[in-house]
Amino acid sequence: MSTQIRLNRTAAWAVLAWTSLLLASCSSGGNLGGAAGEGGSDASPGASQAGAAAGASASAAASPASAPSADASPQEKVKLSFWYGWTGPEGEAVEKLIRQFNDTHPNITVKGLSQSDYQKQLTAITGGNPPDVASQFGQNVAAWGAKGAMQPLDDYIARDGVDLSDFIPGALSSSQYDGHTYALPIAMHFTMLFYNKKLLADAGYSAPPATMTQLAEYAEKLSVVRKDGRLEVLGLWPGLDAYTFSQVYGGKFWDPDSRQVTPDDPGFKRAVQFSKELWDKYGSENLDRFSASLGKYQSAQNPFFTGKYAMTIDGEWLPTFIKQFAPDLDYGIAPIPYSEDHPELKNAGNINTSVLYIPKGAQHPDASWEFIKWFTERQQLVQFTAALGNLPTRASALDDPAYDAVPGFKEFTEYAKSPNLKSFPSLPFFSEYSDALNKAVNDILRGKTTIDEGLADVKKTIQPLVK
Amino acid sequence: MSTRTPQRPPQQGAPRRRRRRVFWTGVAFASPWIVGFVAFTIYPFLGSLYYSFTSYDLFSPPHWIGLDNYRAIASDPNFYKALANTFYMAFIAMPIGLVASLAVALLLNLKVRGIAFYRTLYYVPAVIPIVASAILWTWLLNPDYGLVNIVLRALGLPDPAWLLDPRYTKPSLILMGLWGSGAGALIFLAALQGIPQQYHEAASIDGAAWYRRIWHITLPGLSPVMLFQFLMGLIGAMQIFTESFILGGGANSGSMGGPDQSLFFYAIYLYQNAFIYLKMGYASALAWILFVIVVLLTVLVLRTSARWVYYGGE
Repeated sequence: MSTQIRLNRTAAWAVLAWTSLLLASCSSGGNLGGAAGEGGSDASPGASQAGAAAGASASAAASPASAPSADASPQEKVKLSFWYGWTGPEGEAVEKLIRQFNDTHPNITVKGLSQSDYQKQLTAITGGNPPDVASQFGQNVAAWGAKGAMQPLDDYIARDGVDLSDFIPGALSSSQYDGHTYALPIAMHFTMLFYNKKLLADAGYSAPPATMTQLAEYAEKLSVVRKDGRLEVLGLWPGLDAYTFSQVYGGKFWDPDSRQVTPDDPGFKRAVQFSKELWDKYGSENLDRFSASLGKYQSAQNPFFTGKYAMTIDGEWLPTFIKQFAPDLDYGIAPIPYSEDHPELKNAGNINTSVLYIPKGAQHPDASWEFIKWFTERQQLVQFTAALGNLPTRASALDDPAYDAVPGFKEFTEYAKSPNLKSFPSLPFFSEYSDALNKAVNDILRGKTTIDEGLADVKKTIQPLVK
Repeated sequence: MSTRTPQRPPQQGAPRRRRRRVFWTGVAFASPWIVGFVAFTIYPFLGSLYYSFTSYDLFSPPHWIGLDNYRAIASDPNFYKALANTFYMAFIAMPIGLVASLAVALLLNLKVRGIAFYRTLYYVPAVIPIVASAILWTWLLNPDYGLVNIVLRALGLPDPAWLLDPRYTKPSLILMGLWGSGAGALIFLAALQGIPQQYHEAASIDGAAWYRRIWHITLPGLSPVMLFQFLMGLIGAMQIFTESFILGGGANSGSMGGPDQSLFFYAIYLYQNAFIYLKMGYASALAWILFVIVVLLTVLVLRTSARWVYYGGE
């Protein structure tokens, strides 16, 4: 008898120990769900099929309701979770749009979650418990889309007659791969030439450099070098964004016909060559020392704001920073200079995007699509990008008066109409490719390898990744 | 309750049954750990071994490619670069930290007034999370406004750019490590206090100077703890990740691995492959190679330890 009781007591203790362990592990997040990943994700296509059927009726009901109708029955209410990478005031701008969507779509409730750790999306998708809509960088679309982590939107786009031709080509292509559209771009970035008017005037220049030859000449003349070689002012940081300048020379990174990566493309080579010549005028040691002395980018000590850089290649967000940190700076924004032998490539640039997509395994893809479609409509797109100070991805949005209040946007929205704005080719191995290119350019600038050798190495490393 | 049961001798079966019951009770108590160990250690351990022979992108099922991952690693320049950087941390930075911990422990073992306060003071950095301290150090090591360079300039010494200069990034990490040497010092201190005082007294009477007492009494007495610290330090250094990850600006920064790849450590490359390139199979193979390296190093250290570790006795 007594043994019976003792056994029960030990069992009770064991149960207690178990419960406390479970409580502890639950608080540390849904990792338990992650362990069951494969099963969950394998089951998902079927599940999403069912979801699609159920969602279709919901969205059919929702579309006429875009004009708010209070009497719409809330019975088939779909709840969506939306993970976005913006935080702080930018996150609030997203939340504001979510509220508008919820107010106008009685059948769908979107719940936003600011989740700036994009790796979490990976765990959630492989764990079979993804958000219904998520934001990503355009550069990841090919990788994730080709691997099936993003649901293709082609059928929805065709069904609802979304006019893709209104999207800026360079922005749209970053969310497409192999003939499929896996995401829609909601914001984009590219860079232009910023110049300090006072420093240019002091050097006798009344206009910014228009050609690459002039850019090199300006960069040298505007630099102030002390006798010991140390730099006081740099005309232009020589470690230039090779992707932007590759477009100036018509450089390509991928040949779709032969399915070859082309880091050794003559255009890209010339861009690297330009950087290298500028770099060698000062040398790694002086440049490292100079760059180490520079203030933080997002502060009043930004080297362009303090006059340590006479010119800089930077994005559409910079004028907003200038307004905030250096309101007295007298600066101008000019097109990226062009190469004399490629005048047809004037106003070149490299586009990066942020996109929205439906993760694999999302339960209500139709409702998710409804949200993405709504978000990328002109009006919402303008509201969103103007609040963030990002560029819109629709051509029809570029002249919207909402941008009048954003500093510098007159130049940027105008430049956005240029047909020579491209984006890095959409490739599933983008990350590897760009890491290898960055490393090669770094080694070339620092004289560890030659241009030909460095870029040939990239080809050797990356070409095997082509499937 | 009839405790007076017949005279049947129950002694035959009872002890065994009892022992078995005790065993299963023990298992029941240990089961949370056992299940956790199997699910979160053994399963991923064996799972990663399997994945290391596959091509696995997380989204589609893995498919077997035999030794291809290992072959690719053998000719991967990034692998060697990462390994070299990591060895630097394991064989240069870690021993420096160990010596510093020992020196601090010797100081904290002195009988001076307020020693309890100093001991606390030196241990405080060990309490601070590594992420917080890494961010703190980016400020201290700021080339222009950082305290470290302000002091160096005041002393008329050169003021390197620390975290921004590829030649100084790893020494910066050593410096950060020294600041946290209190944690290791605490373990040394405990061991120091375990060395019988009589040895020191006898040596003093024999006229041994302080440095001879350290060499002949303190160090041999500490050697088992030294071995432990060295091994743990070695294993920890081979997996170094956080500092570089934080200083490089995180996953999507493009500057992972620090300026000129100077903080491009093994674990960083592993992470890149697994979570950025989505090459889980390749990353698993990298992990297994690291595991084998760590095991080999550990065995090597343990084998040679017989020559320099003194466990008491004769």
